[in-house]
Amino acid sequence: MTSTAATNSAGGAGVPMQPAPGGSHARFDVAGTPRITFGRLVAVEWRKMLDTRAGFWLLLLTGVLLLIAVGLTLLVVGLNDFEISANDVSQILTIPLSLLLPVFPITSVTSEWSQRSGLVTFTLEPHRLRVLLAKLTAVVLLALSTIVIAIALGALTTVIAANITGNDVRWELEGRTLGLLVLSQLLYFGMAFALATLLLYTPASIAVFYVVALLLPFMVYSVLYGFFEWARDLIPWIDLQFAFAPFLDSTQNVGAKEIGQLSSAIFLWIVLPGVLGMRRVLRAEPK
Amino acid sequence: MISVQGLTKSYSGFLAVDDVTFTCEPGRVTGFLGPNGAGKTTTMRVMVGLTPATRGTTTIGGHQYQAIPNPGRHVGVLLDASAQHAGRTGREVLHLGAKVMGLPDSRVDEMLELVSLSQEEAKRRIRNYSLGMRQRLGIAHALLGDPQVLILDEPANGLDPAGIRWMRGLLKGYAEQGGTVLLSSHLLNEVELIADEMILIGHGKIVARGDKKTLLADAGGTGTHVTSLDNAALRAALTAQGMTVAVAGDGFRVEAPPVEVGKVAAAHQIVLADLRPADGGLENLFLELTSQTQRDQFNEGATA
Repeated sequence: MTSTAATNSAGGAGVPMQPAPGGSHARFDVAGTPRITFGRLVAVEWRKMLDTRAGFWLLLLTGVLLLIAVGLTLLVVGLNDFEISANDVSQILTIPLSLLLPVFPITSVTSEWSQRSGLVTFTLEPHRLRVLLAKLTAVVLLALSTIVIAIALGALTTVIAANITGNDVRWELEGRTLGLLVLSQLLYFGMAFALATLLLYTPASIAVFYVVALLLPFMVYSVLYGFFEWARDLIPWIDLQFAFAPFLDSTQNVGAKEIGQLSSAIFLWIVLPGVLGMRRVLRAEPK
Repeated sequence: MISVQGLTKSYSGFLAVDDVTFTCEPGRVTGFLGPNGAGKTTTMRVMVGLTPATRGTTTIGGHQYQAIPNPGRHVGVLLDASAQHAGRTGREVLHLGAKVMGLPDSRVDEMLELVSLSQEEAKRRIRNYSLGMRQRLGIAHALLGDPQVLILDEPANGLDPAGIRWMRGLLKGYAEQGGTVLLSSHLLNEVELIADEMILIGHGKIVARGDKKTLLADAGGTGTHVTSLDNAALRAALTAQGMTVAVAGDGFRVEAPPVEVGKVAAAHQIVLADLRPADGGLENLFLELTSQTQRDQFNEGATA
């Protein structure tokens, strides 16, 4: 122990405090203690995503997937003598990013319950909304930084591809496409985060997320969409991927209907579970 | 320093904590003692804002816990030493705590040294920690922010006897410097060793409080263990005084205070080999006071 009693009187200049210990009325002087800054909470939540073994392996595997995607792209380009632009490459490279990384926003929330570390987290910062917002900020920063890495890798791939095929390097990377890539990555991260706050249980959150975000659109919706008229009417309203597709397709005109469909899917998978989940986190008793 | 007023917590009709009122003073170690499920943990969780109270208030240092800015700097909390991410190293857990509280990283090393966790152990992941090591890490985490108040739930659980002795020294030293300590336990021996004052809780209600002496006095006298060089003569002398004598080990258990037994022995010039208060008194009291909530029935007093 260094200076247990010293903090009693730290700060609080001007406030005449009782010469503390002794009485049952002993009060802390909290005037000299600043609140925990939001930046510090974000920095801690960022670190908590990456400092476990699970976090390490997730990042490593994502890195490996990225390199495989680069390798495959170069292979295809080299064999077929394609011309490929930075735009194309970046779109390809976001696929490995969207595969494993959504686990981060999920475990960032659920591990506080399944690993029970929430007992400490919510004791050090009892204002749970601040903790949640700090987590959300850290998750958004992670999504953005992985996109930056993907773009850097994409640029490198573009140069190498041009060298292999002997074509000119095509640098065009449309701002709109880039913006949409960022947006779609953020939406999926948001969905993962929202489902996690609602379920507060790692396996269920991961399962629900991957079924809704990957399995249904690829295995179920795509089939239904191809065969049934009603599916073509319904699915874009309830699935993020189908709702988002028209925005990525530059040949398609996007109107009020498409915007409505995207809004509906966002409401269904992000806003609704997010609001319910936030209520749950604020009220739940971390055990 | 810690004040709990009329605290009640009910879970859909079940009263986990029933109108509990007590205070913990600075400079003292207060032991919160009761069988499993008596409401100790719930009370502590309400204190630090993890569980909302149904009725009543708790304040620490005159403040509601949620109103304390950066509470880790004022109140050190250890609710469950195992409630840490198993994949993190011990050092990382302390580092994260220090970062949230805005403390320099040097504090982490100070705390590791204080709780005798080596640098080598601090680098291991918590899933490989024994319960005793987790407790030490938890104590280190609670002390990180140099708080004025410590709230510890079952901190001695999993510690070996040497560890319990170490914790007693640590907490006594902390209290002597003006700190307030509230610790809980379901084991009488632990609390008896560490705490200056005890609050006994059973069935969500406080059933007794005070230091060991007061509690025993309230329970109506104490027993004595006595052994002498001439047990037969001693037994006769004690029985003649109307004391209840029962054979226990090498000597007797007498239902009278040690002073009285000593007087009788002195009067009859019997050499005593051993004379001490029977601790079972407190143990019996504890079991008796909390018996309604015990899962096991004790028909023949305490043998624990």
